Amino acid sequence: MTPFVITILLGIVFVFVLGAILVGIFNKLVRFRNRYQNAFAQIEVQLKRRYDLIPNMVEVAKGYMQHERETLEAVIQARNQAAGGLQKAAQNPGDAAAIQGLASAEGALTGTLGRLFALAESYPDLKANQNMMQLSEELRSTENKVAFSRQAFNDAVTQYNTYKQTFPPVSFAGLFGHGQDAVLLEFEGEAIQEAPKVSF
Amino acid sequence: MEGGPGSAPPERPKHAMATDFFQQQDVARRSTTRLVVLFALAVLAIIASVEVLLAATMGYLGRNPETGAVEWTAVTDPQLLVMAVVGTLVVVGGGSLYKIAQLRGGGRVIAEELGGRLLTAETSDPIEQRLLNVIEEMAIASGTPPPPVYLMDREEGINAFAAGFSPDDAVLGVTRGTATRMNRDELQGVIAHEFSHILNGDMRMNIRLMGLLHGILIIGIIGYFILRMSFYTRGGRRSRNGKDGVPMIAIGAGLAVIGFAGTFFGNLIKAAVSRQREFLADASAVQFTRQPDGIAGALKKIGGFVGGSSVQNPNAPQASHLFFGRATSGFSAMFSTHPPLAERIRRIDPSWDGEFPEAVTRADTGLAPANAVPGAAGFAGGEAAAATAAPGVESAVASIGRPSQAHIQYAAQLIESLPAELVAAAHEPYGARAVVYVLLLDRQDETRQRQLTHLQAAADRGVFEEALRLWPFVENLNVRMRLPLLEITLPALRVLTSNQYGLFKQNVVKLVEADDTIDLFEWSLHRILLRDLEVQHGRVQRAKVRHRSVTAVQPYSELLMSVLAYVGHRDVGAAEYAFEQARLKLGLARTRLYGQEECGLAKLDAALTHLDEAAPQVKRQVLEAAVACITADRKVTAAEAELLRAVSASMSCPMPPIMLY
Repeated sequence: MTPFVITILLGIVFVFVLGAILVGIFNKLVRFRNRYQNAFAQIEVQLKRRYDLIPNMVEVAKGYMQHERETLEAVIQARNQAAGGLQKAAQNPGDAAAIQGLASAEGALTGTLGRLFALAESYPDLKANQNMMQLSEELRSTENKVAFSRQAFNDAVTQYNTYKQTFPPVSFAGLFGHGQDAVLLEFEGEAIQEAPKVSF
Repeated sequence: MEGGPGSAPPERPKHAMATDFFQQQDVARRSTTRLVVLFALAVLAIIASVEVLLAATMGYLGRNPETGAVEWTAVTDPQLLVMAVVGTLVVVGGGSLYKIAQLRGGGRVIAEELGGRLLTAETSDPIEQRLLNVIEEMAIASGTPPPPVYLMDREEGINAFAAGFSPDDAVLGVTRGTATRMNRDELQGVIAHEFSHILNGDMRMNIRLMGLLHGILIIGIIGYFILRMSFYTRGGRRSRNGKDGVPMIAIGAGLAVIGFAGTFFGNLIKAAVSRQREFLADASAVQFTRQPDGIAGALKKIGGFVGGSSVQNPNAPQASHLFFGRATSGFSAMFSTHPPLAERIRRIDPSWDGEFPEAVTRADTGLAPANAVPGAAGFAGGEAAAATAAPGVESAVASIGRPSQAHIQYAAQLIESLPAELVAAAHEPYGARAVVYVLLLDRQDETRQRQLTHLQAAADRGVFEEALRLWPFVENLNVRMRLPLLEITLPALRVLTSNQYGLFKQNVVKLVEADDTIDLFEWSLHRILLRDLEVQHGRVQRAKVRHRSVTAVQPYSELLMSVLAYVGHRDVGAAEYAFEQARLKLGLARTRLYGQEECGLAKLDAALTHLDEAAPQVKRQVLEAAVACITADRKVTAAEAELLRAVSASMSCPMPPIMLY
């Protein structure tokens, strides 16, 4: 008699505790994922700004560097590629392929930009251009902001991944649709971390 | 508004009584206590029902084999009673505490559950920008840090909510429908309504209610679960043993009935309380904006819009009482968390003809200039009103938690006159840190150089250059702009990750200590900054009420008054006179003016921590004494005003900006 009721009560308590733990894990996973997604939105804002600045700069440079058409076109192409990569990554910042795609496109863009700046060294008129000076200053400060928001994103991703890998969440993460780890956003060669030394 | 400049605001309905911030805090606390008692009774009733249910089940199992009569002797079985009590308490208590703990995680959790997306000031969408501007103005006007704002992108209904456990972790949520369909005045009315929920302490009560209801609901869920299980097992392999199944079904059905009935009545209580708070919030919104057309217009638009104020998110029902308008359509007025729309409108606008505007198209979404704030009186008239009604220091305490239209206009003007470079930097996390660093830079070249060297070495890459770029703007900044500037950096600083925040805090402390003396502005800034950010980053516990009388906090108030007396009064005689004024306000017979050398800022820090733990009415008296102390010489310096606001913020009392002319 009594053991029957005790079993029921214990069962209730057990189900309740288990349910509470599971709900807690589920909510925490969602919260951490939201956090890194929000952090990516910050990067997106800054990268978009960067991609908006580059065509303007190429436009100004065109007037001075007629013989470097190829480099200028490469910059624009790399910029478009990176903008596409950003769009894909922004749709799902947890998608490893998209993030890596963005990282390598960004790396390529930084590379071509570096070439452009190196070439620009031999065009004193361009270097003295007021517009160009302002644009490259803005580009530089945008790159700092990208680095900063990237740090925030990576912190948030690390927090999410770490939580996912601890016990007990590790046993349920897959079940709750958090199977894949989010990936850190590292730009190739860390080139962007070291803002291009523009001497305008 | 039909009146011209200077026309008195329409008479306020008498039920919209103008109670002050401290009274409201008291009321919120008291009604919370009353609710807890009510729910304790409810839990007792539930225990009794569970007991009867168990006893009946046992009686059924042990029924007289011949007559089949149910034995009721088990009702008096102490073992069963203990089981019923413990079982119910564990489930209800556990369920409530769990939910409360979850909700205490702050408003962000709720906002995210409701499908909100955090807005950042970098947005280029004019709709989002306008929303952020309105909120920023309202925040500066009321002296609270601007709360994080979540936009519910998928919700086309007209609604908004405030969530969070205390003003420190409050967030605002706004549906897309509200952001796009309101004009600026109406949006301001809605935001003022939500701010008054924050300032009146409604959210704390809401969270406790949600928690308790959740606990009761769990009993019902468990019962439902048992019922389902017993049907499943009976239908399956254990069908031959039908006897065990009957009590299972009985217990399951019984628990389900008890739980759902409990939730039913709990919801009645919740709804009744919520309706009262809605009226109060409407009235407060009118009081803040002196502009009944805004909020009345918003309510009318809800009435005229097909989608009304409904919110689609599946989590909306349990948060229904947080919203501006009814989020879910209930089947009865008794369960409605909001008073009927028409009644709300009539209380604000008695002359309303009962007609809702038809087919609301998207409102003009142009970014109205911040200055064209409420009042059809127009900008010139508004400014005149601000100048004449400018609440000075004397009314500072009365205006805590009760910003006026003058404050809102003043705030809008302050933001407007801040250099655009500083505002832009303050709105994103990268620049916001630089702004704070620059605010801390010393005016003395030598000290500043030392501070800059430190920044170059210890701050993130580029921050040093950013600081150099911003310094000229801050150097020439009017002193009264410093605190508003600091306040608008807070939303951006909240999104720093804990690594970034750690470094930022270290640098702030280093900059403050650079000249070996901490001046009052540095102290005030540090205090206001950390007060907000430490809570955001979960590094401090919120204060509990520990001191209930002025005498209990006497040593701390003495220290505070001594500091204030010395700050504003150069010679000892004047300081003593100012201190005496404070003593009279405190109503204390014997007090001690601390010696100047005893008044360290570290001690002030400690004293404020204690004062924050005082009951609301005690805080009010202390702040009134502080004002008396500052105004004793009929002169209020910017330093005194800043200090007063830092002190007030430290005591969790949002004080609107003090207007010095």
